[in-house]
Amino acid sequence: MAHVADVMRTLHDDPGLRFELLADLCGVDTGTAMEVVYHLWSAGTRDWLRVVATGLSREDPRAPSVTFLWRGAEWAEREAYDMFGIVFEGNRDLRRIYMPPDYRSFPLRKDFLLPDDASRSPGEGVRPMEAAPEPAVLAGTPADVRRAREASR
Amino acid sequence: MTSPETKVRSLDDPSVFVDTPATIYDAIPPYPPRTEREAEFYTLREGEMLINIGPQHPSTHGVLRVVLKIDGERIVDLDPVLGYLHRGVEKICENSDWHMVISHCDPLEYIASMFSEYVPVLAAEKLLDVTVPRRAEYIRVLACELNRISSHALFMGWLALDLGGITPILYGFLERDEIVEMLAALTGQRLLFNYMRIGGVNGDLNHEFMSRLGDWMSHALRHIEDSMTLINSNEIFVGRTRGLGRIDRQTALRMCLSGPPLRATGIPYDVRRAHPYSVYPELEFEIPTREEGDSYARYLLHLDEIKQSIHIIDQVLHRLPDGPVMAKLPRLLRPRPGRAWAAIESPRGQYGVYAMSDGTDQPFRLRIHDPSFFNLQAVGLLTPGHLIADIMAIMASLDPIMGGVDK
Repeated sequence: MAHVADVMRTLHDDPGLRFELLADLCGVDTGTAMEVVYHLWSAGTRDWLRVVATGLSREDPRAPSVTFLWRGAEWAEREAYDMFGIVFEGNRDLRRIYMPPDYRSFPLRKDFLLPDDASRSPGEGVRPMEAAPEPAVLAGTPADVRRAREASR
Repeated sequence: MTSPETKVRSLDDPSVFVDTPATIYDAIPPYPPRTEREAEFYTLREGEMLINIGPQHPSTHGVLRVVLKIDGERIVDLDPVLGYLHRGVEKICENSDWHMVISHCDPLEYIASMFSEYVPVLAAEKLLDVTVPRRAEYIRVLACELNRISSHALFMGWLALDLGGITPILYGFLERDEIVEMLAALTGQRLLFNYMRIGGVNGDLNHEFMSRLGDWMSHALRHIEDSMTLINSNEIFVGRTRGLGRIDRQTALRMCLSGPPLRATGIPYDVRRAHPYSVYPELEFEIPTREEGDSYARYLLHLDEIKQSIHIIDQVLHRLPDGPVMAKLPRLLRPRPGRAWAAIESPRGQYGVYAMSDGTDQPFRLRIHDPSFFNLQAVGLLTPGHLIADIMAIMASLDPIMGGVDK
């Protein structure tokens, strides 16, 4: 997958292209594979460009980081890691950004189902969470959560 | 590892035992660093200490927590900690139908929610190939520009408040309240409007809105300029913001900034012109820019943008066409399978949505690009070397809204 970095570098540096503005970076789970989607804008040609890095494996998704071109992509990559588990090689601060540090699932993956009433039909009831090494505690005070965690160990 | 009676498992990492459960106030994580950057940040040199700001602090404009590494009064480095307001809006949107997306996206940018509900609507319209009636397009522009002014007026007051000036925010709220009341007459809600609809808007302009708007327009520019003379040349305000948090063009692009922080460095990037949507190509307005790129330039830029917005509203009121405000669409929307990127210029910068549809009535993926998230990141670059008190002036001048940052 290293050629994504080359493509981005060419788009950024080539004097005829000059896609210097990274409009967006996001992860996508298509259900069968992972993708990283970049949106670029060029001040020279005034065009939008969408670059899609397709076909990352769902078991171990890896993509090169573009932080060497846009330092501002760091948080976007952290978000994609947090939500999809996509590892960006070269990002020196790839921590979870929204979820707590001890969280183990990747919420925006398609096999992570919502347990609450925001799921597709209200009558369907509670759906199972993604299989986690410890029972998911869905509600309660932090003390309840801690107690449940301690009990599970 | 032994588990003595007095020790409990850490909430952050259950594999370690600590005297007290980890709290949000623990500056140093009880676990080994997970990344290179974290290890570097939490290693203290001689004379350095860590101090925690937030997550509940009035000047963080929401629930942002910042761990500061300081040497005396100077900031050496900082580590923003996000997620205190994370609700998983993107996941919720994937599980709701296209109409419900509008109200879920509403509270993201809660100071200017007209924008955060407009983008998903725009993306859905691209997927559906709907032609929105022209009157609806003009009403959207009108509502958005009004909301932009209210957001900017509040920003200017906030910035002064964070620097210790109590008066300007009262004037900021004065303008904002008039606009908010006006939009309440139009949409029925003061803050979370839920007014945009896929294919148009929810309801035509009404008499109360128009009469309030007419009253306000007759004095808007004069009022805003008057109240801003309070701070524009105030020696303390200028002394504390000029030259503070300076950023140059190349760095601004590398940091993925957009909106006023980017335009304050001299790059005329405004989505309304760069990638026109709605009826903006038909309207005359300038894109104000500044060269200095500091907090003061960002502040002045907001004032210029308010003037341009009033100019746009003036044109919209003169050109408003007759006709319906909603396109004819079925109740249950099933956009064609495909991908669409829609972006608009919100008061904070480029607000984008990347929507994927698989042909069902629910979005397959709805990526929300919030400008606050990217602009806030620049805090880590701008603050080192400044005093602790200046972090507020820098952060406020980037104008992040945590509802959008945390999604």
